[in-house]
Amino acid sequence: MRAAEISLPEVGTQSGGFRVSGPPHEALRIELWGFFDPDVADALTRLAPTVIQHVELAAIFTLDATNLKPQGPDGQQALRVLFRALAPIAFKKGVLLASNVLTKMQLTRLVRECGLDARVGFEDIGT
Amino acid sequence: MASAEDEAAKAIYRFYDALDVLVRGNLEPMQDAWHHTDYVTTVHPFGHWARGWAEVWATWHEIAAVFSIYKGHEGRTDRISGISDLKIGALGDAAFGASVFESRLALAEGPLVLHVNCTNVVHKINGEWKVVHHHPDQAPPDWVAAVGRMVQAGHA
Repeated sequence: MRAAEISLPEVGTQSGGFRVSGPPHEALRIELWGFFDPDVADALTRLAPTVIQHVELAAIFTLDATNLKPQGPDGQQALRVLFRALAPIAFKKGVLLASNVLTKMQLTRLVRECGLDARVGFEDIGT
Repeated sequence: MASAEDEAAKAIYRFYDALDVLVRGNLEPMQDAWHHTDYVTTVHPFGHWARGWAEVWATWHEIAAVFSIYKGHEGRTDRISGISDLKIGALGDAAFGASVFESRLALAEGPLVLHVNCTNVVHKINGEWKVVHHHPDQAPPDWVAAVGRMVQAGHA
């Protein structure tokens, strides 16, 4: 039985947060923005593995970091948890979106560190 | 007693000395070059604005991580980067410095030179002049792309 569309409440504030949307068997999307305070980083750390385990073989996973700033230690650790939860899952395609070059470099580094670099890639968002 | 202009210039040169060692993996002087307040701001030759010390420090940390890949200066003692033509304007306990920043990287794919204008603002708090604002021009796309390839490859 397929999981229903995931709809989690938005976490955080305008200055930093995340939201998850989409049916995990088709196209799960995690949008991240701003700079995470410790509470937001902790919430992502707790929720990410739960959400990710529903991603299925046919799914396209999108991490929309278009408005994400380079993260400090708490935010980076939360992203590692997310990427490590994603690593064993056989999703169809993984897409990263980023407009801030330094954020893109940070995500590139973390994705490689978590063993996902061969399976997810950046798509041009025309910036 | 040193003038405000002299003290501001020292703080700005100290900042660029800190940048040169940050690229070689030592972040401590950069941390010490800044006032850690919520009104500090920075941008780099690539990337967007960071506002407040937590965001500013995260960007310097990431730049150190990016350049931890860079090995072109291993075993060399010459500077990677520095400024020229520094002009200071002091206004009480604050001052701005306009200068030209140059860096010379030796990447595996060849030398990579960057010239950008930059402005720094320093503030005297509790008798200490330190940076509160840093703003270089954005680097040309081919420079950013070369650094991006280094990060993507995971080696210089």
